[in-house]
Amino acid sequence: MNILTQLVLSGMALGMIYAVIAFGYQSTFATSGTLNFGQGEALMLGAMTGLSLTGEIMGGPYLNYWLMVPVVLVIGSLQGLVVEFLAVRPALRIHSEFGWIMSTIALGIIFRNVAENVWGRDDVPFPSPLPTTPVHILGANILPMELGVMVGALLLMGLMELFNRRTLYGKAVVATSSDRGAAGLMGIDTRAVIAFSYALSSLTAAFAGVLIAPITLTGASMGSVLGLKAFAVAIIGGLTSGMGAVVGGLILGIAETTTGFYFSTGYKDVPGLILLLLILAWKPNGLFGRAAVQKF
Amino acid sequence: MQLTPLNRVLLLLGMVTAVSTVQAADPIRIGVSGPFTGGSSPMGLSMRDGVRLAAGEINRAGGVLGRPIELVERDEEARNERGVQVAQELIGREKVVADLGFINTGVALAAERFFQQAKIPVLNNVATGSVITHQFSPPQYPDNYIFRVSASDQIQAHMIVEEAVAKRKLTKVAILADSTNYGQLGREDLEKALAARGLKAVAEEKFNIKDTDMTAQLLRAKEAGAQVILTYGIGPELAQVANGMAKLGWKVPMVGSWTLSMANFIDNAGVNGEGARMPQTFIQEGNTPKRKAFIAGYQDAYHPANGRIPSPVSAAQGYDSLYLLVAAIKQAGSTDGPKIRAALENLNQKVEGVVTTYDKPYTHDNHEAINAAVTVMGEVKGGRVVYAYKEDMK
Repeated sequence: MNILTQLVLSGMALGMIYAVIAFGYQSTFATSGTLNFGQGEALMLGAMTGLSLTGEIMGGPYLNYWLMVPVVLVIGSLQGLVVEFLAVRPALRIHSEFGWIMSTIALGIIFRNVAENVWGRDDVPFPSPLPTTPVHILGANILPMELGVMVGALLLMGLMELFNRRTLYGKAVVATSSDRGAAGLMGIDTRAVIAFSYALSSLTAAFAGVLIAPITLTGASMGSVLGLKAFAVAIIGGLTSGMGAVVGGLILGIAETTTGFYFSTGYKDVPGLILLLLILAWKPNGLFGRAAVQKF
Repeated sequence: MQLTPLNRVLLLLGMVTAVSTVQAADPIRIGVSGPFTGGSSPMGLSMRDGVRLAAGEINRAGGVLGRPIELVERDEEARNERGVQVAQELIGREKVVADLGFINTGVALAAERFFQQAKIPVLNNVATGSVITHQFSPPQYPDNYIFRVSASDQIQAHMIVEEAVAKRKLTKVAILADSTNYGQLGREDLEKALAARGLKAVAEEKFNIKDTDMTAQLLRAKEAGAQVILTYGIGPELAQVANGMAKLGWKVPMVGSWTLSMANFIDNAGVNGEGARMPQTFIQEGNTPKRKAFIAGYQDAYHPANGRIPSPVSAAQGYDSLYLLVAAIKQAGSTDGPKIRAALENLNQKVEGVVTTYDKPYTHDNHEAINAAVTVMGEVKGGRVVYAYKEDMK
């Protein structure tokens, strides 16, 4: 087995997990300049509702994996609307600069506590829709579901770009992100666009949840660390670029596995975070981010 | 006097309390502290339910010293600072006569000093860190109030190494431990146990709680030529280690601390976890009448999923810890802390528990009730923990 190929492949799989979560941070930042810090919990809710439908924990299985995904997407987008309505809209209305930070964190904690009481506190297995025997690529092993996550992340990136560039709604989102005031004057209902972006954000999080759950641990606390790592990815890649999330994810994922092997497993999280600090110092908008011109 | 409806209710309440205090003797209040929420809660809740089961039996049989037992349960969330608050609350406000509990070594080390200062005995019934019972041991302290009813890491590390090196002749070992107090103290005990046999691990790797990818750790162990993996961590991450090995197509035996018996390891690792071995003080197999009754009692009272106790070891040790404490209170004839401690250190009567029958379990200098002879090797088989060696089933 080729060690380096294995480390890079595992790092890519890990990085793509971070990337699919990072998309969720981007869509709300684009329209309103706010972030949902409960992104990890949105991910967890997606995974746990998915598991309730396809697994046995709630007396199921009710649906197979592929039929469950659309249901989870709908529930995810509804959850996003709730977050926007309760946590973000009041803060934006009173032009509070930072109110949404605390309120999205608070909602995240509430969602986690509710999930603990509904589904219990333990990590449980998520049945994999693809075979669990690894496949061999270039002398290294990878799980089919890890390939699934990579495909899913690229698909999500493609769809987001297509949506923003080709559809009228996408253009409204882009317009709102460039200048909310002017977009409002052009007749775009910016409040609806922001609400929509939250729905989209939680939808991607819920999708990420059911996508990664078969290979990570599934439980009420699954989102805490992953949400944070994905946030670092979103910052490294840039909060305004879909491409950035994928590249940022790959950088962080591969940095973790290679440092772990060639240096020490006790320090495997360090290089990614040093990179984060360097990028914040030299390219504050991330590797692929556009600098917003602020006029006052 | 004109009575308003509210006053009437208050008057009635007053009469009811007056009557009840006259009828029932003052209960003996015993603290139960552990993590009832979060990642360690399967152990904390099993322990609590084991204690409750014992308390129910004791109270139905008339209590102790003619008084019923009242449990004061507090969730310390596996957080050191919360454990300290809970300890102070149990001592200062709830006035408990003793405390049972502690799942996490870190919390135990942080919180038990308050009980020691207040001269209130603690029966540590799950946490395994070797240093726990030696924090306040003589001669630096005249009397140690910290007792244990679980297999210390020292005993476990010795058994793990013996299983791998002596019984299976696997001398190239890799240690995989998590970065918590538990994992790192356990790693030190493993190193010492290996050194006693003149061995050194070929790789020592670390992982964090909630890590999902173990490729780097496992590849390092593999490249170093490890023939067996010794683990010190908790269920979910250990499952990722087992799953990671399957992904890499590298299969060596896993032998580790007792947490390999946690339901969240067995469930999340599935077939990849089969064959993992770990020291156990109790295995859910009703091979004695006492154990059979305990398992049935637990299942009737708490209906665990598939009839499987989430953490059988914690439940059994929790159950036994209350019986040991009650035996000491009975012998002391008092709920005074120093007298209970003295009685624990010199128990005249044998106490029949589910782990073992305790015959003079403690002395002034030895606060470990469980020794290597009581601890057996368990193995994951068919999604359950069974005896690894048939001759242990006695």
